Amino acid sequence: MSKSEVAQIRPKSIGTSIPRREDPGLLTGRARYIADIVLPDMLHIAILRSPVAHGRIRHIDTAAARAMPGVELVWTGQDSKARCQGIASTLEQKGFVATIQPLLAHDEICFVGEGIAVVVAHSRAQAEDALARIEADIEELPVVTDAAAAIDTDDLANAAVPANMVYRSNRVTDPVEEAFASAAISVEGCFHTPRVNASPMETRGFVARHEWTTGTLTCWSATQMPSFIKTMIAIFLQFPEHNLEVITPAVGGGFGQKAHLHPEELLTCLLSIELGRPVSWIEDRQENLFRAPQAKQQINDMALAVDDQGRFLALRDRVITDSGAYNSLPWTPLVEGHAGILVVTDPYRIAALSAESLSVTTNKCPIGAYRGVGFSAPTLAREVLIDRAARQLGLSPFEIRRRNVIRQEDFPYQTRAGMMIREGTFLETVDRLEAMVGYEDFRKRQQEAFREGRLLGLGVSIFSEVSGIGTRALNFLDFPLTSHDTATVRVEPTGKVTVTTGIVTSGQGHPTTLAQIAADAFGVPMEDVTILAGSTHHAVGFGTVASRSAVFGAGTIGRAAEIVRGRMRAVAARLLQAAPDDIEMTGGMVHVRDDPGRTMPFAAVAGAAYFAEATHPDDFDPALEATAAFDPSDIVLANGGHAVIVEIDMETCLARVEKMYAVEDCGRMINPMIVEGQIRGGMAQGVGMILLEELVHDERGQLITSTFQDYLLPTSLDIPDIEISHLETPSPLVPGGIKGMGESAMISTPAAVAGAVNDALACLGVAIEQFPASPQRIFEALSKVGVMDRGNNFPV
Amino acid sequence: MRRADEDQRLDVVATVNGRERRFSVLPRLSLADTLREELGLYGVRTGCEHGVCGACTILVDELPVRSCLMLGVQANGKTIRTVESLAEGSSLHPLQEAFRRHHALQCGFCTAGILATSQALLAENPCPTREEVREVLSGNICRCTGYQTIVDAIMDYAENGQAGVAGGERGPAE
Ligand code: FES
Ligand code: FES
Repeated sequence: MSKSEVAQIRPKSIGTSIPRREDPGLLTGRARYIADIVLPDMLHIAILRSPVAHGRIRHIDTAAARAMPGVELVWTGQDSKARCQGIASTLEQKGFVATIQPLLAHDEICFVGEGIAVVVAHSRAQAEDALARIEADIEELPVVTDAAAAIDTDDLANAAVPANMVYRSNRVTDPVEEAFASAAISVEGCFHTPRVNASPMETRGFVARHEWTTGTLTCWSATQMPSFIKTMIAIFLQFPEHNLEVITPAVGGGFGQKAHLHPEELLTCLLSIELGRPVSWIEDRQENLFRAPQAKQQINDMALAVDDQGRFLALRDRVITDSGAYNSLPWTPLVEGHAGILVVTDPYRIAALSAESLSVTTNKCPIGAYRGVGFSAPTLAREVLIDRAARQLGLSPFEIRRRNVIRQEDFPYQTRAGMMIREGTFLETVDRLEAMVGYEDFRKRQQEAFREGRLLGLGVSIFSEVSGIGTRALNFLDFPLTSHDTATVRVEPTGKVTVTTGIVTSGQGHPTTLAQIAADAFGVPMEDVTILAGSTHHAVGFGTVASRSAVFGAGTIGRAAEIVRGRMRAVAARLLQAAPDDIEMTGGMVHVRDDPGRTMPFAAVAGAAYFAEATHPDDFDPALEATAAFDPSDIVLANGGHAVIVEIDMETCLARVEKMYAVEDCGRMINPMIVEGQIRGGMAQGVGMILLEELVHDERGQLITSTFQDYLLPTSLDIPDIEISHLETPSPLVPGGIKGMGESAMISTPAAVAGAVNDALACLGVAIEQFPASPQRIFEALSKVGVMDRGNNFPV
Repeated sequence: MRRADEDQRLDVVATVNGRERRFSVLPRLSLADTLREELGLYGVRTGCEHGVCGACTILVDELPVRSCLMLGVQANGKTIRTVESLAEGSSLHPLQEAFRRHHALQCGFCTAGILATSQALLAENPCPTREEVREVLSGNICRCTGYQTIVDAIMDYAENGQAGVAGGERGPAE
């Protein structure tokens, strides 16, 4: 049977807002995160990080550090290189340049914060004391910090990447000149999205314990991808994979940042093997800001051709991704602009697309995945341009979208990048959002505010999201990877259900929602189901990334349950004297279809399968345990929209979000309360990215925002209450009709916030295309048109 | 005034979660690390260790304090409450129940600090407005929830206290 088979699940628990089972542990301080893992004899790591952005290591003197109290070991890059070359990251794409990121730099240093030496000591404090005694002699090299300029310079950011170009592609090159020539208007802009850090409240961490007596290596990792990490350790360290276990404790937020193989993880394993003792690496916030994968930095030079009716004719985009010094693993910089341009037209009918993507190496921390990945930036550019076109044509932002979204009658609709869109609620989303905002009233309010000297703005964003990403979606996005997950389900002799899965949570609620799925798969109450997760001994899977866990959870558990259910049906059919096909399971009972009188408890059927051979049909396989894989047969597309109202204070130039609205269609919701939590959290991060957050590098490549005093995250005063409305278009490719949505808000909210800032400033002839829209940027933009000089007097 | 060398452990007596505790710590150790490493109170979380994120917030003499910015030795003679003190036996405190009911946590990493801040707020102002709750919460960063449900939970508790509906795991029809 195919891995894409869609098992039958009858929603009962699915669809209800059941409180989370993981909350009691998290609310009482009982849950154990990576920093709480304490093992007998455990040692602690501190890493010396490069103070220069580009250089060559002449010499590192570690003698004084080695002599410090409590120090067990000091390594430089030469020591780690002797055991592991580093993390090789490539993709099978013509012209793609592979990089090898050393665990510790041993020759060329390519960014500030790159590890150059490591100390292992009895406490983290002692290890840090020793770091201060290491003398590093580094020859500085020319620094490349500006991705746009890096294309034409002779200076290389990383000697392994010729011309600073990791990958350049133009998969969709429709001729668009004619459309632009004939268009009534064309709108264009050059949009810069900020380099940001996902900044989970818990930083990264890893604990390794090597036991030479058994040859086993047990790792605890705050990771979203345990199976992947395990296989990579096996490959990069040549460690026998069957002797490896990766355990995932409670994880304090991931958002993509913890969906990478980090050099420190391999290093920690090596150190434990070397020392024969458990070794713990828990980074501090500064290390996280310096060294954890960064994200979102793109330049989108985009233009949209529109006819006099407001219909879109063509879209042109040239996107540069500021990739940093190495390719992250597994995503590489393609996770940004390159993936983004392949979906840039998606909610709309746009007949012609010309898109070019460049991934450019710079002397910065590697770019990686962060919620919404490379979809956020092109969505922002497109939606801001759509608003701009609407203003020029005198249309409302909702009306122009209504005229262009893909409608029911268009399905199946193939986008110019080649995606087949089969279902969705694009038009309904626009209508619903407009009603929620109260559009006419808003415009009146905006005018009144203007007369009082206040600037209000409305931004709108309509999105679709490639969710439940498996092999098909990855390949569509030009990641030639195969990805499937497995789950194992076992019906216990007393009729309880044990599910083992490779899906791990970093807060998204899987222990609860997967139990809802499994309960419905067997027609048993949820309290009869347990979910085992968090060890690679359990199951395999690609991990919790790309809004895929609900989809893969339903797919894998559904298929495995189908196998076990078949066996239970065979036994029940004999006991109830009916055909197996007529046996149904609901409410903890097994009964004959359309004959409620013939029924017996689910547990009794399980008991018979285990203990009563007389009830078994011929050739019966009594294993009430099965493992199955799942990978959706095609892209599972979710959709929705966001609207944001901001007010800009003319005196401080501070943009404040006044109200936010969301419409979400993730197919059938497993747990609406959890879905809304995902939306709210994602929207808050979207506000952060567009108004507050930015990793700033100076011209020497120094990161000058390395604490939370400089890198500003949204607080409870920055995020208003959010109004949410749901639509449900079930996916035929997933049991229960489920679709993913974890990233939706971060794909689309940044666009709505950016649109709102631009709408607020449009009356003054000002546009903001560089983000975050900090007070300084708004001040500068207003100063340019002379508004600030006129003593805050509006040109009314 | 007592002087100590940097590697000399100092004796501390403090009331921690209702019990008198005696322990000795190095003067360099923060109170957060002291509570975690010396007393095993791992519910105390550190997210930044420079006083911004609020994850390490605990109650010291009933006032909310950044335990990353206080030294372990400064606990001497103080009364300290951490998240571990809130639930009674195996039942959640009604404030914790309200957090669960309103889905006021996701990864849970900020939760201990937010509970401490909320307790201090409610002790001083048992009937806060939403705006007052947001104002007081602004020193605790949460990266997962978008804050709204945290405000909902605190308001619910303030308005209904123990009377809130118990938030068990219930099936739809059960
Ligand atoms: S850890 Fe104390 S405020 Fe962040
Ligand atoms: S719940 Fe994750 S940081 Fe608040």
